[in-house]
This record gives sequence, C-alpha cells and structure tokens, in this order.
Amino acid sequence: MKTNTLSTDVELAKTDPRIKLITAKIKKENYKPDALIEILHTAQNAYGYLPMSVLKFITKALHLPPSRVYSTVTFYHFFSLKSKGEHTCLVCTGTACYVKGAQLILNEIEKQFALKPGQVTADNKLGVSVARCIGACGLAPAVVLDEEVHAKVSAEEIVNSINAKIAV
Amino acid sequence: MNRQDLQTIIYAEKAKEQNNKYKHKLCVCCGAGCISSGSEEVLKKLQEEVVTRGLEAEVEVIATGCMGPCNQGPLIKFLPEYTIYQKVDCSNIKEIVQRQLIEKKPIEDLLLFADSRTKPFIDAREDPYYKKQMKIALKNCGHINPERIEDYLVHDGYHALDKVLFQMSPEEVIAEIKQSRMRGRGGAGYPTGLKWETVYKYVSPQKYVICNGDEGDPGAFMDRSVLEGNPHRVLEGMTIAAYAVGATKGFAYIRGEYPLAIKRFELAIKQAKKLGVLGNNILGTEFSFDVEVRIGAGAFVCGEETALIASIEGKRGTPRPRPPFPAESGLWGKPTLINNVETFAGISPIINNGGEWYSDIGTPKSAGTKVFALAGKINYSGLIEVPMGTTLREIVFDIGGGIQGGGEFKAAQTGGPSGGCIPAEYLDVKMDYESLTSLGSIMGSGGLIVMDQSSDMVDVARYFMEFCMDESCGKCVPCRVGTKMMHDLLKKICEEKGTRIDLERLEELAVYVRECSLCGLGASAPNPLLSTLRHFRHEYENRITE
Amino acid sequence: MPKISVTIDDKKLDVDVGKTILEICKESGIEILTMCHLKGLTDVGACRLCLVEIEGINKLLSACTTKIAANMIIRTKTEKIKRYQRITSELFFAERNHVCSVCVANGKCDLQKLGYKTEMDHIRYPYLFPECNVDTSHPWYVLDHNRCIMCTRCVRACGEVEGAHNWNVMNRGYQVRVISDFDTPWGESVTCTSCGKCVHACPTGAIWPKAIVQGQLEKKPEIIAELIEKRKMNL
Repeated sequence: MKTNTLSTDVELAKTDPRIKLITAKIKKENYKPDALIEILHTAQNAYGYLPMSVLKFITKALHLPPSRVYSTVTFYHFFSLKSKGEHTCLVCTGTACYVKGAQLILNEIEKQFALKPGQVTADNKLGVSVARCIGACGLAPAVVLDEEVHAKVSAEEIVNSINAKIAV
Repeated sequence: MNRQDLQTIIYAEKAKEQNNKYKHKLCVCCGAGCISSGSEEVLKKLQEEVVTRGLEAEVEVIATGCMGPCNQGPLIKFLPEYTIYQKVDCSNIKEIVQRQLIEKKPIEDLLLFADSRTKPFIDAREDPYYKKQMKIALKNCGHINPERIEDYLVHDGYHALDKVLFQMSPEEVIAEIKQSRMRGRGGAGYPTGLKWETVYKYVSPQKYVICNGDEGDPGAFMDRSVLEGNPHRVLEGMTIAAYAVGATKGFAYIRGEYPLAIKRFELAIKQAKKLGVLGNNILGTEFSFDVEVRIGAGAFVCGEETALIASIEGKRGTPRPRPPFPAESGLWGKPTLINNVETFAGISPIINNGGEWYSDIGTPKSAGTKVFALAGKINYSGLIEVPMGTTLREIVFDIGGGIQGGGEFKAAQTGGPSGGCIPAEYLDVKMDYESLTSLGSIMGSGGLIVMDQSSDMVDVARYFMEFCMDESCGKCVPCRVGTKMMHDLLKKICEEKGTRIDLERLEELAVYVRECSLCGLGASAPNPLLSTLRHFRHEYENRITE
Repeated sequence: MPKISVTIDDKKLDVDVGKTILEICKESGIEILTMCHLKGLTDVGACRLCLVEIEGINKLLSACTTKIAANMIIRTKTEKIKRYQRITSELFFAERNHVCSVCVANGKCDLQKLGYKTEMDHIRYPYLFPECNVDTSHPWYVLDHNRCIMCTRCVRACGEVEGAHNWNVMNRGYQVRVISDFDTPWGESVTCTSCGKCVHACPTGAIWPKAIVQGQLEKKPEIIAELIEKRKMNL
C-alpha cells in the first residue's frame, strides 16, 4: 500500500546534471534546514520551476518533512511547481503600471494568444505571468520578455515582440 | 587589514582625485530604471567615443546609481559642470561629447527637462527639481560607482565606522542616534535610537542585526535605488548598529525581484571584508561582524518583521503575535534589531555630523529627510529625497513637474496598500508621520502615487484590497477571510451591483479587520478603503443601487 | 511561585507570574472563547477570538499568547469584543461549506458551539462556497476540507506531540489548505503514523474516523494535554 515514492524520485533526479548545482548549494549551506529557501532559489533558477522530483531530492537531502517543504514552496509566489513555457512574458501590474494600462496589455495578450496570467500555451511555447512590481515604475508600463525588460510598451508592441520570439 | 592600511588607501585615492588626473567625470546612470531604457549601451558607446577622441587621460566615464528622474533616462551627468543630458540615445552621443566637452556649448534641447522647461538649466542643481531636494540617504547615489569601495571611501565612506570603533562606546553611539530623533523609515516610524537601546539592553551571547530590504509596496523603489546606488552606505550602517547593540551576525533580506541590488550588495560585502571593514576583527579591533544576503521569494507580508524572521529561518513567512518583540526574541529566539534599508543608509551621516545636526532638519516630531518614489500620473516620476515637512504641493508640482498631460491633481496615495489617499484640498499638508496619520494615510516606506481626474477611487480601493487579499498569509481569520469579503464587496460596488447594506457591511468589516488582525498587513489593509470612503464617499454613493 | 495582582473584568486577582492571560482566566473561571488554542500545543494566536482589551495598550491582544504582567487591567467581555467575536464566528461559517445538519460533528462541534455563544442568529456576509475536496484515502480516517477552519491544531498535534509532521498548510490567504506530505492523498502519506491525534485535536467535523454517521462523533481533545502529562511521569 505505502510505497516509498520518495527514494525512487530521488534516484531519477540524480541522472539530471542540474542536480549538481543544487547539491553544491546544499553543501555550501551546510545541509542547514534554515537554508531551504536559498536552495529552492537555486533549483528554480536552474529549472525555471520546481519539478516534484527535485523537491523530493531537496527534502531528502535536508532531512525535512515533505509537508514542511511543500508548505514553504506554495507560500512564496516566486516558486512555481509548473513549467512556465519556453518563452516567458511577465507583465508588471505594480501600481504605476496599473495606472498606465498594464491591464490593456494583459487583455491584448489574452485576445491574441488566449492566455490568462499563469497559463501556458498548449505547445508550451509561451507562458504569461504577472509580477506585483518589478520596481521599474518610472518606465511603466513594463513587461519582461525572456529576461529582457521592455519599457513603456504598448499592447501592440509587446504582441509583436512575442510573435517574433515564438516564430523562431 | 588594520586602521593604518585603510588610511593609506584612502589617502592614495584622495590624492588621485586631488591631483585632478581627470578634468571631467562623466556619470552614466545605471540604476535599474535607466538600464531598462538602455543606459548600458549608452555607457559603452560613451566610453568608445572618449577613446576615439583620445580623451581618456582627462575624462573619466563611470556607471553610477540612480540620479532620480527615472522616466527621463538614460541620463548622463557631466562633472564638474553638473550638466545633465536626458533620454540619451546612442546616436547623439557623438554630438553631445563634441558640444559639451570640446566646444563647451551644451546642447540645450537635450538637457534635463528640456522638453518641459522654457529654459533648461546648464547646472542641474539650479533646477527646482534638485533645488528643493536634500540628499542624505541618497547623497552619493548618482555620483559614485557603486561597484567600487574606493569611490565610497573617498566620499567619507567608513569614516563613521572608524569614528565609532575608536572614539565611541556603544552607549555613546545609541545616545547620538537618540539625539538625532531619527525614526524608522520602514513605515511605522518607531524611534530608531530607542529600538537600538532595547536590543542593547538584552543580555545574550548572540544577537542579530537584520536589514529589511523586502520592499513589497507596488509603486515603491526607494530601497532598491539605495541598495543599487550605494550599497556600502547600508553595510556601514548595519555594522555601526551591530557595534552599538552587540551583534556579531547580520542578514540583509532583499527582494528576489531586485537581482541588481542583490548582486551589488553581495559585491559590497566581499569588498568590505577584503578591506577589513567587515568580518573578523574589524580595523584591527576586537569587534567582529559578518553579513549574509537572504533573497526574498515574493511575499509582501515578509516586510513585517516577525514574518521576515520566519522567512530567514527558511519557513513560511507567517507573522506571529507580538509581544515578545524581536528585540527580545527574534531570529532563532535571539535579540534581533530590524531596520529598513533607508534607516541604515541614514546612520553614517548622523555619526559624522552629529545627532543634533540631523534633528535640526525636518519638523519637530519627524526629523531628517525622507526618500519618496514618485509614480503615477506625474511628469517626472522617479526618486527624490526631501526634508520632512515639505508639502505635498512642493513635491508634486515643484519637484515632480505637475500632472502628466496637463491633467488635474485628484489625489496622491502614500504608503501603498497599507496607506491612504490625500485629496487635492490637502495639497498643502506637510509630509511628516503625524500629519499623514491625521489624514487617514501613513508615511509608509515612501511610495507616492499621483492620480489625476481619470482615476476611479472605488476601483483604486478595490485594487489595493485585491493586493492585500493575495498577499495575506492566511494565518488569522480577520485578514484571511475579511480581505476576501471586502474585496468581493468592493468588486460588487465597482460593478454597480452593490446596495447600501453592502456599503454598511464593508465599513463594519474594515474596522473589524483593522482592529483584530494579527499583524500589520491585516491591520492596515483596510486603510485605502477607509481613506477613500472618508475623502471620496460620493464616488461610492454614486455606484450604489437602491 | 511569586504572585502579582491584576484586574480582570473588574475582579481583583492575585495570580502566578509567567502565565498567559488565557491560562489565568481559565484558572479563575473567567470564560474566554477560543478556537485555535488547545492545551498542550504551542499557541499561535490565529483565530483572534480570545482578544482582550488591556488598559494602556491601544490594540487588542490575544489572551493565549500574551503573558500576564503586574497591575494589568484586562477586560474580556466588552461590547466591542463581543461584536468582533460574532463577526469572527460569521466569517468562519461563511468561509467554507459548513452544513451542520449533515455533519458528523453535529452537536459535538466547537464551531457550532461558538455560533451559539456569540448569539449568531444568521450570517450577514455572503458565503464564499469554495470548492473543497474530501480526502477518504486513509483506511481509518477522513479529511473533509469543507469543514476545516484552519485552526492548525492538527498540524501542531502531529508535529509537536506525535513528531510525524504529516500535516502542514499550503498556499496563502483564503486559499490555504491543510495538506499531508506533498499535498499527497492522506492514505499515501509516508510520514503519517495513523496515530489519530489529529482526529481528537480537530475542533470540527473536518477530521473524523470512518464508519460513523451524523452526530455520532466522539472527540477527546483533552487527550493531547493528558499525553504530555503522562510522558512527563515516565521520565
């Protein structure tokens, strides 16, 4: 009935080269459970999200209860349990961007790609998400497309940039 | 490295400056705002241009932190003339260098605010934008290269730390801070000296100092600019605090959304350790202090000190009831001092110039200066620092250049989702802790969002309530359920489906959530709602269906 | 133990130092409403039912987490506090799907009792009607999220007393849910020892043993404190 799913997933994870990055970070942090969030950051940077196998690997390495890890991961918005797509489009909805029409950009994206924030296209090409504030308020409205900041963009401009990205 | 070695470096650097090796210093703003406008490209082109013209022996080009008017970027500042060019494009760099450096005839059309002033100022310090400001926390931002500790050393960097370690006892440091009457810049305005004294009084073999850089208010970027523009100033403030309260270990908790701030602060720690102003036996004394960076993972509630502590401990960032306060039982149950980035940035000037000097600035109850992040429908959005007690009118119209598109000022939101709005009839309010509280708003961390007549205040209240609802940690009932209920009711009113009974329920819930919530997030979540109800009640009434 | 004098609801009392306001009130027969408090577990001050007014302090403090201090003047039953307790009670009921008539805990439920005590005759706020699962994967027990009030007594009983750490809380805000392991079905948890402490700690019909019907639930929340006492004796 109860199978130890934890260890099988951990074995799986070991075949992934990116796990080395995480192991190095865990070692650097002296296997301290307090460093859980730091280690999750490393994992998220390496994978773009937190696959379950990686979470299980970290849980085992730090000797933490699974529920403690899962509760922490789901508390912070930075961590995602789902892949966000090959290309990511992050629309800032901070106050300045809100005042200057971030919603119009989101509406246009929804119209063009049928994506709401948090969703990914069926072919996993494009994922759209929102940020509470990326701190570039002077450049509102701002959109981060694959790590590049597009400042003072119009809905039309950003749709064109996205099309250029996913066409490749 | 001991004290003498450091002095040698400072003398050498100062001599280099005085020998006037460079006749001109060209500062390119590389704050996060200008970088997104393409300032890194401008920096590269400018450096190339200087080399092409063979001017590298007399012209120094450096990347600096934020200069202020973010939406006018990329910015280039020419020193010593203090001439600033705005919205610099790679294509006009050649011309700017030719006219400014060779012909000494600045291109007026490209100067800062050329598009809105009848005659722009060649010396930008003459412009009301800078004239009305007073920079203490931001003093060196925009003048020095934040990635070089030597630049900071030349500008009195770590001088205050030296003074504290060799001439002052911890008690004297605390007395100086108390005399300055400085209040915490994180929002609540608790007297900084008193906080330090409380931590100092608890006897414990281990104490901690935490720098709160989890600036989560939408529309605020003060801490970001300080951390990016002058990280050493914050680090020095933390080290002085650690000496005063008897801590040996510190954490800087910085938002994950600020990768540049994290990078520069980590670099600053490395440089400071190398020069012996951080780490073991600082400047050869018995005093040791180490700082680690912790990266926030996207939770506004972590700005609340007990939640921030839980987060540093690697847990869910849920607050716990106070008392006990962190000063008694904080990180891992040890006495902990938590101050905001801007508070720490203000420490070394107080030590260098004396508490009395600082307490003379500002108003009787709120001493010193405050950094505000201007955003919204304002002409010059960006970062400013003004003495406490400057009026809202001066900030919006003299410094901020008035309302965008010639619109009409309707209200300004201070304190973000925890604050409230200030309507036009209070434009002459003096910006200090007490005056803002009496208007139903708060000083908060310094976000200031300007709204014009097109803003719908009920929707603004709904927007901030949605924010609080999403950011509620879910631990206590009033905040978890109350913010959701209030949001749903506000949405209903926005959609013109609300009734008078809904409005009554909304007001009752707002007072309940404010009084019963466990932490500051819940307690202040109803503020935008209550303040818009107070000043713009008719907008609610007009939406009600009977 | 040294004594200090305090005033609670206009009654002068000489009480022990080092205890919480809630402990003192319980010892002195002063009733304070609670929901997230359970004797034996760490107090978290989450339900906000035990808020009291203390003279000289401008905000309400939770009795379960605030230590008593000399000369405190405490009020536990002012009109304001009663009004707030009623709102809290209403919010509990409106948050999830509490239908007493079909609930196993009917008649034995702390939430139901709270409704009576706060004289809640109807609920003035719109019900949120969230979609909630019922986890029946465990061979002996059921977890019904519809009845959960997020008091986290099960989480603390499991972690602090049993030491299994099967339970925790996921998400945030109004989307919080109690989870076992990685939000794994309870029956597939690798940490659960099936000890049943959470069943007794739960104040409502959210966690209950299988094979009982409506109104038959018998819970012994005092078992947690008893266990802790017995363990001390063994030592």
